[in-house]
Amino acid sequence: MKISVYQVAYKNLLRKKTRTALTILGIGLSAWVLTSLFGFNRGYESALNKDIDNMGFQVLLTAKGCPYEAATLMLKGGTGLRYMSESVFADILKNEEVEQITPMLMQAVFDPNKGESGGISAYLGIDPATFPAMKSFLEFRQGGWFRDPESREAVMGYEAAELEQREVGDAILIPEMNLEFTVVGVLARSGTQDDGTIFVPIRTLQRDFGQEGNVTAVGIKVKKEANIALLENKLYDLPDVQVVSMAQVKTTIMSLVSTAKVMVFSIALIAILIAMLGVINTILMSVFERFQEIGIIKSMGAMPWDVFRMIWTETVILCLLGGGLGIAVSFGLAKATDLLIRRLLPYTPTGSLVAIDGRLALTTLGLILVIGLLSGIYPAWRAARVRPLESIRSEGD
Amino acid sequence: MIQKKVRRAAAVAAAFAVAAGPLLAAVGCELNDPDRDVRRLFPGSTGFKTIFVSIARQGGEPLLRKIEDRLGDKFQGLYETADVPYTMYQVFKGNELIGYIHGVNQKGRYGGIQVFLALDLEGTIRTFYYQKLTNREAKLLRDPSFGRQFVGLRLSDFDAYDPVSGAARPGSKVAGIKNPAAGAEDDFKATLRAVKKNLILCQVFLLNNKWGRVPNSPECGTCPSLFGS
Repeated sequence: MKISVYQVAYKNLLRKKTRTALTILGIGLSAWVLTSLFGFNRGYESALNKDIDNMGFQVLLTAKGCPYEAATLMLKGGTGLRYMSESVFADILKNEEVEQITPMLMQAVFDPNKGESGGISAYLGIDPATFPAMKSFLEFRQGGWFRDPESREAVMGYEAAELEQREVGDAILIPEMNLEFTVVGVLARSGTQDDGTIFVPIRTLQRDFGQEGNVTAVGIKVKKEANIALLENKLYDLPDVQVVSMAQVKTTIMSLVSTAKVMVFSIALIAILIAMLGVINTILMSVFERFQEIGIIKSMGAMPWDVFRMIWTETVILCLLGGGLGIAVSFGLAKATDLLIRRLLPYTPTGSLVAIDGRLALTTLGLILVIGLLSGIYPAWRAARVRPLESIRSEGD
Repeated sequence: MIQKKVRRAAAVAAAFAVAAGPLLAAVGCELNDPDRDVRRLFPGSTGFKTIFVSIARQGGEPLLRKIEDRLGDKFQGLYETADVPYTMYQVFKGNELIGYIHGVNQKGRYGGIQVFLALDLEGTIRTFYYQKLTNREAKLLRDPSFGRQFVGLRLSDFDAYDPVSGAARPGSKVAGIKNPAAGAEDDFKATLRAVKKNLILCQVFLLNNKWGRVPNSPECGTCPSLFGS
């Protein structure tokens, strides 16, 4: 009966089941970390790009100091909001790079009936003439955009509507101001921050909150092929405004995240080194234990390359099983990894943060296999160098 | 230098968040602060366990029909559906189960109403609590004296209440519940419907009842599930 080198290698691994299992586990853990990390590397950037694309504009102009307004909104209920005058529109439109602008006004009111001790309700005033065109990807679950730019109508994001149990035709109330709005549209889930937003016509919001002529932000859509950096430089010259470039936002967030990535990559590298040492140790031990056996195989006619191949095959089997296990775990735990990353990072975009697909899985498996093959060279070489007579004689020693 | 970079990044991220629009809390009817709220609703409690159920998962369409029959009304609109996830809190004192807390969303005049009930092991209301209510007269409905009218009532008492007509059988305990806010009649009726729905869901998913108990719950042990899962 002819036994293939693969069968011999497989049977050898089964001799020490616990040791083999632990080695596979070690490789599996490394493969898991590596796959998740590669997936995160790709998923985070793609999710961030999607979020930025979904904003519909490439540059955002806010009143000076506005980057801190998110905190202000939470701490002061919007009373500390800063405003820009609408006169800034003309200055923005002077620039040839600008295709379109859309003004926005955010207002927040304290709602004493939210929760045990009240909460903040925020409303985003938008221009029905320009905002929907920029956000053309938004779809409606019910209804549509405002019919009248000065009406008391509201369009609710999917989650905002679900939380408030609102449908088209229902009313919403701003209790502190005793203002009623009619819901005319409920957006379909977009997976963006728009899901949690209540949109109202900007003119109505300006009038009702006594902010005529004021806005809190202007979204700027830049012409294709236009030089965004040049436009940003021109906008910096405008008084009392702050330019937030989405490209800059992306770069800043990515640089913040890259610190975390470097740390995790370092950990992954250590994990891979440990797994490599584990493989070398397992195979080398196995070679030493089978010293006489290898000698007998050689005395029966096996060439050094045959022995080398047999030992190398053991390494390949270990790496394939460990790599496969790790990749399967990374697929299974992708959502949990996503949740963990969301808890750890200060800002995470919407959408999947860990993008693992077949191609990535194959790349990782290939990498693990290469690392394994490298790790297996030394033990296989040691085995191939065994001298038959010496090894058989050593049995009697 | 690093601090400056991080601060700048945080500032830009904050601006990004503002620009993108405000994020509201996750949809669902969970206690805003379970640690605080459970202790407040059950003074002396030492812990709680959360279980997640839905009509779709535990019994599907047949169970929905049973619940609607008991409620005396159909589930309505975009949001009151069989796949709504319910978060139920089992409250413990040491190892002893001492009661339950459960909240439901109910469509109100101006927004979602969240009505929480704290129940004893027999399903009797210990505490009534509005977690969310938007109305011009919300203050009157949120007054503890209104909530106290529900204390001691149980599901059988609400069989006398018809959520469609908003009428309770004369002389019944539910008929005795007074609306303190004349201008908030819609939300008063919505509240009674929410309480009845809440009690039915607690009966279905938590208490020892004709429909069975929630699988794997401590009081259930190895009791057979009627929900097919």
